[in-house]
Amino acid sequence: MNILITSASKRLARHLAAELNAEHDVRLTDREDAPGAQSFTLCDLNHDEATNELVRGIDVVVHFGELDSSLSVSGQLDDAMRCTYNLLWAASEEKIPRLIYLNSLSVMGRHDESYAVTERWKPAPTTETSVLGYHLGEFVCREFARENKIDVISLRLGELVWDHGEASSSALYPEDAVQAVQKALIAEVSDGYAGSSSNWNVFHIQSAVPNARFLTAAAEQGLGYQPSPR
Amino acid sequence: MSTPQGNKYMNVLILGANGQLGPHVIRALENDGHTLRLTDINDPPDTPHEYFKLDAGDLDGVIAAAEGMDTIINLSVLRPHRQIAFDVNARGTYNAMAAAVHHGIKRVINTGPHFTIAGPTYENNDHLIGPDVPTQSGTLLYAITKSLGQEVCRIFTENHDIHVLTLLFYNFWFPDDHSADGHDVTPFSVTWQDSAEAFRPALSIDLEELPSKCETFFIFADMPHQKFTNEKAKRILGWQPTNTLAHRWTKM
Repeated sequence: MNILITSASKRLARHLAAELNAEHDVRLTDREDAPGAQSFTLCDLNHDEATNELVRGIDVVVHFGELDSSLSVSGQLDDAMRCTYNLLWAASEEKIPRLIYLNSLSVMGRHDESYAVTERWKPAPTTETSVLGYHLGEFVCREFARENKIDVISLRLGELVWDHGEASSSALYPEDAVQAVQKALIAEVSDGYAGSSSNWNVFHIQSAVPNARFLTAAAEQGLGYQPSPR
Repeated sequence: MSTPQGNKYMNVLILGANGQLGPHVIRALENDGHTLRLTDINDPPDTPHEYFKLDAGDLDGVIAAAEGMDTIINLSVLRPHRQIAFDVNARGTYNAMAAAVHHGIKRVINTGPHFTIAGPTYENNDHLIGPDVPTQSGTLLYAITKSLGQEVCRIFTENHDIHVLTLLFYNFWFPDDHSADGHDVTPFSVTWQDSAEAFRPALSIDLEELPSKCETFFIFADMPHQKFTNEKAKRILGWQPTNTLAHRWTKM
């Protein structure tokens, strides 16, 4: 597959590229230069030919909802909404079959920890820019999927644990994140409710840590995701 | 001191006051004696009210303009340009909400087109569509950018002590416009005057009387199509359109 990964400067983007590169042709992009990134294309994700060119010939776009906290609030919200819209618009025009949106389980964070929160629950983001941005990006993705312009899988990822850091109850180890993306690249998830078809799928992805906060049964069933035992 | 209807006078910030709807809203509210502070990206019109030339996409500017206000009315809108539509319709609404939280303003009146909620997936298929259906804007630039703004409003009300009343419109007409009589009309139409009247109860209604902190109202004339319903605006706001636009949907 030809895979495009956005936010090339992020550690998970580099990690994903390295892991997927063995089986796929992986390209990276970002709005800022990303020294050291392989097969990198600088792109502002504007409404122009450069964005169409970026996605042309791609089979799956992996788009990060995580924002660059060094930007102003306005800059971050612009990334979350307008740039996501431009990317999806270009992908739709170029007839890219699938986009994987890397969201965060933080958008479910206001639900009580004692609740068995699944993908059926309404998102409950805060107005903190980073959390709100994830949610608004997913909002944009959902409308493109609703109009059958592209198949979107939103993976709401837990808190990444790098370098043996402390694991929260929604922890996600990098190898599980990679596995979820690998599964989402090829998953047959077009069956909607009662025999209808759906271009829109959401999955909660976290590692099997003790007292795991979020259930991952839907991802296990729909994607074949199997978090490593911890 | 109170308005002719017995309500408290308010300091009202209007964002996008110099657009098409703004002058009608200003006329309705100034008759009630409210103190208005107007902002728009365009040069000031001839107005007795305080006026700031301001881009709604300027977060710091919007926060500064909201100081000392009791209510923010967001009329700002930009339709065709990709960058500016997001700047104004989506981020501009975020800026209004952030300004309200910053200054402890409890009431925001937001506006937009009906398809921020009831997009093509409803309108193509259904009738009696009300304002409380789940949002399905679709990807049309104007619809999705305004819909993102509404989503921002909703999330702010879930996280802060603030109420948002969203008034949704579509087609506006002058009462004496007979250019297309007898040819039917978009079943979400209203006169400019009736649309402006909806802002008066939105400004004066006791916030505790609202069913929730985030309420949306469809503002259009009493029409027989039954494609949409304006019942909620009449029931909760007490708004009553005076012009049915019958000359447009009855045969000549």
